[in-house]
Amino acid sequence: MTTLELNDIQGYLIRGYAHMMYSRFVYLQITDAEATKNWLAKSWKTMTTAEHIPKKDQISSTHLNIAFTYSGLEKLGLKTDNLGSFSREFRQGMVSPHRTRLLGDLGNSAPENWRWGGPFNKPIHLCLMVFGNDKEGDDDIEKDKIVCINYYELLKAHFAGNGLEEILFIDGQTQPENKEHFGFRDGISQPIIEGSGRVGPKDDVIKAGEFIFGYKNDFGVYPDTPLIRAEQGNLNLLPPDAEGSGLKDIGRNGSLMVMRQLEQNVKTFWSFMNEKTKNEDHSINVAESLKLAAKVIGRWQSGAPITLFPDKDPGVISDINDFGYAKFDKDGLKCPFGSHLRRTNPRDSVDDHGRKESLKLSNQHRIIRRARLYGEIFEGSPVNNVPNGEVGLLFCCFNADISRQFEFLQYTWANLPKTKELYNDPDPIIGVKEKTTAGEEQNFTVQDLPVSRTISDLPQVITVKGGDYFFFPSITVLRFLSTI
Amino acid sequence: MGQNSTTILVPIIKNKVDELLDLLAGINEGLAMGKPPLFEELNIIHFARWVVIDHGKSWINDPVERTPKLLFVVDYDGKETDLLRKLCTDSAELLDKVYAYCENFPILEKRTPDSRTAFLTNNVIKDAAVYIGAPGRTVRQIKDESNLRDFIRKYLDSTTWGNLSAQAIHQTIKNEVSSNGNFAFLDQKVKIPSVNWLGLIFLGIVLLVLLPLTIVLLLLVIVWVLVLHIFYERKDENFIRKRSQLNDKFMTELEKYEDFTSQNQFTQLVDMKEGKFRLFTIKAMFSLSKSLIKFVFVKGKLMGIPTIHFAKWVMFEENSRVLFFSNFDGSWQQYLGDFIDNSGWGLTGIFSNTKVFPKTNFLLTGGAYDEEHFLAWSRNSELVTNVWYSAYPHLSIKNINNNTKIRVQLMKSLSERQAAKFLKLI
Ligand code: HEM
Repeated sequence: MTTLELNDIQGYLIRGYAHMMYSRFVYLQITDAEATKNWLAKSWKTMTTAEHIPKKDQISSTHLNIAFTYSGLEKLGLKTDNLGSFSREFRQGMVSPHRTRLLGDLGNSAPENWRWGGPFNKPIHLCLMVFGNDKEGDDDIEKDKIVCINYYELLKAHFAGNGLEEILFIDGQTQPENKEHFGFRDGISQPIIEGSGRVGPKDDVIKAGEFIFGYKNDFGVYPDTPLIRAEQGNLNLLPPDAEGSGLKDIGRNGSLMVMRQLEQNVKTFWSFMNEKTKNEDHSINVAESLKLAAKVIGRWQSGAPITLFPDKDPGVISDINDFGYAKFDKDGLKCPFGSHLRRTNPRDSVDDHGRKESLKLSNQHRIIRRARLYGEIFEGSPVNNVPNGEVGLLFCCFNADISRQFEFLQYTWANLPKTKELYNDPDPIIGVKEKTTAGEEQNFTVQDLPVSRTISDLPQVITVKGGDYFFFPSITVLRFLSTI
Repeated sequence: MGQNSTTILVPIIKNKVDELLDLLAGINEGLAMGKPPLFEELNIIHFARWVVIDHGKSWINDPVERTPKLLFVVDYDGKETDLLRKLCTDSAELLDKVYAYCENFPILEKRTPDSRTAFLTNNVIKDAAVYIGAPGRTVRQIKDESNLRDFIRKYLDSTTWGNLSAQAIHQTIKNEVSSNGNFAFLDQKVKIPSVNWLGLIFLGIVLLVLLPLTIVLLLLVIVWVLVLHIFYERKDENFIRKRSQLNDKFMTELEKYEDFTSQNQFTQLVDMKEGKFRLFTIKAMFSLSKSLIKFVFVKGKLMGIPTIHFAKWVMFEENSRVLFFSNFDGSWQQYLGDFIDNSGWGLTGIFSNTKVFPKTNFLLTGGAYDEEHFLAWSRNSELVTNVWYSAYPHLSIKNINNNTKIRVQLMKSLSERQAAKFLKLI
């Protein structure tokens, strides 16, 4: 059994900071590497670790974590050979002709139109993640906001002195019931990292190496961790490569972080559901509209999985996550094969494999999701679907192998329309293209009796507004980086 | 009608490689923009590719100076002689353009269907093992059955079916299809290939009856593998790079040709390890694969891999080199890891006989099961596929096999249960 070095791992990787309802993600450029290193030499101590603090009152009211892009590490002065030991995906970043094709960032989602991370934006070097929680207030986002912003202001006062220039920030919020803007409870299903101290269904326990460098992954091998190939800095600080190459490991206890700003078009989403389920007199059939949307997501708005509650939303907020599809929903009659939930984690029912093999395959493509809402908080529904201004999800996830995990989910399981036995069905939330080619269809199939139904002409309901790949280093490595 | 696969390898005229590459790039661009190649009209070619090998990259820094060569790989319906004859007649214009850059292609005045055919035939190299994801399905049939499925799907969506029994719906669909002139092909009966259990049982019985012989055989294999391990595997030079350590420029070059539709190609070239022992081992593995492909892997899965349309291995230059080709659904890089569990033994058994493979023990362990190094090895030994053609880029191999099932079940008389199962396919 692995034990994780929790006090060396930055906290956000292991914990969602759920009680911190307000957060600010600050994207910065390094203007003076020496000043930034000097700052790192002190600030590594202030980064929140994953260490479990049993006493609630001892948990700090603010949390801080940090992540670097490839160009950030370069700017900081990491040598070319050392930069070269990071994975290709991280080095290239989210934007390259091929990657753009894979991720489906076309049309209005094309990087040329992004707010940040795109070719026409100022390059991002690092991201500071600032969280706040008013310990007096009980799930009061307004109060949390004050704590968060105050902390941010405190940090910001020293940006210039620390060689940092703010490019932009995005405020991430959590709705009290953790619902995203379409109105569905989110953040329920998460892999449980072996050795993290968290417990849960054993099918959900995943080897640490799937998310954290320096530990074995689900294949029983060590993930491709960045190693020091050209000496620099205080190497005594760094641990050796667990695989035994003799090189120093700068990945250990760190991870790769994917961030994507996804605008949600709530009106398009619900208008589509309403239109496809309308009554004969063209009025909205709220119950049917909700049901179709639940089929599309895979859970009801309450979070209750539709595979266990096929008829209607049980209503109470649900965190039920200990379920599979193989035994009671093999044919997708309850939770369709094409739903967002079932395709991003098919659990024990992958293609026509048996339960065990399926679980193994599903678990080779897990991510730790850390999404937060941006824009004015809004809870969409069939009859309430016009938010105030732009809203969306600041999607964030952790994985050790971007290609096999995040990109696999986005490309192979979400964008490709061929999951299971499907023909023309992209992921209805994250896989739909703005424009189709001649003759191309984008459908959602509802498996049903006596025959399944095609819900045709899916509209695109999210637009990508920005994104980048980040390295989320360990505390030790932050300290090391200050010495290069 | 049977499917076939042919590989043609010809040396390129000295100093003509760049011009040829330009031409191929032009053809490929045309394909990408939806301009079909001349041979599409033949309606018998499933997949085709042109690959320039031995130009530039040598993946293990092999010092041998090689002549650039042009590979043509084609998967098609019917006999090789018919295909070549048709290509050399109906697609002569395209062939002439491409092969004008190759050694020994008939000079302008002497180009006739006969002389071209002779040229191609002379340069055919033998396949070591061929896998077909939808055995027996012609291009024609695949397209017909796809239209049939789309037609039925639209028909089902055009109305509601309330409480009708599955049997009744099946009959209604049948009537609707029969009254449509486009589906006359349904008169032809087709069979879905199935695993040859009888043959397997027979083989089992033979092995049991000849138990002493079987034991001897098994012992032989064990001794063989032990010898292999002690005298060969332990001395192997192994592939030790990870994906992050591969050549960036080359990766970018490969990526230029990938992930445009939901299908992709993969071309791989590796060198055999020296010696008869390795050669015998790989040949034995190919024989085993061939039998399994014939008797067991007949339902759209190669060693458990459910996404391959056509794949094959070829040995050439006196068995010193091995080519692997695949036409498949999805992304090879992303997917490969998923197949390791089921197909690791096969991939390792074959490829561990080629140079600089991830460390393997006893022909079976390590190798492909060493995920990170295996993925890196696979990517590193890949070649750019200069031109790639698919006759039905919008269909997955699962779609194709499912469509045949729909066709076959549609024409049968079904019980209520069978009819319900039939409806699930659509
Ligand atoms: C605005 C965009 C998105 C929305 C509105 C959204 C919404 C949801 C919701 C409501 C759930 C169910 C809650 C849960 O099980 O935790 C969910 C689950 C999930 N989503 Fe998303 N999502 C979005 C983008 C993405 C992206 C970009 C990915 C990855 C490529 C992703 C991957 C997942 C995964 C892996 C699950 C859990 C599946 C499971 O384990 O059963 N989502 N999403």
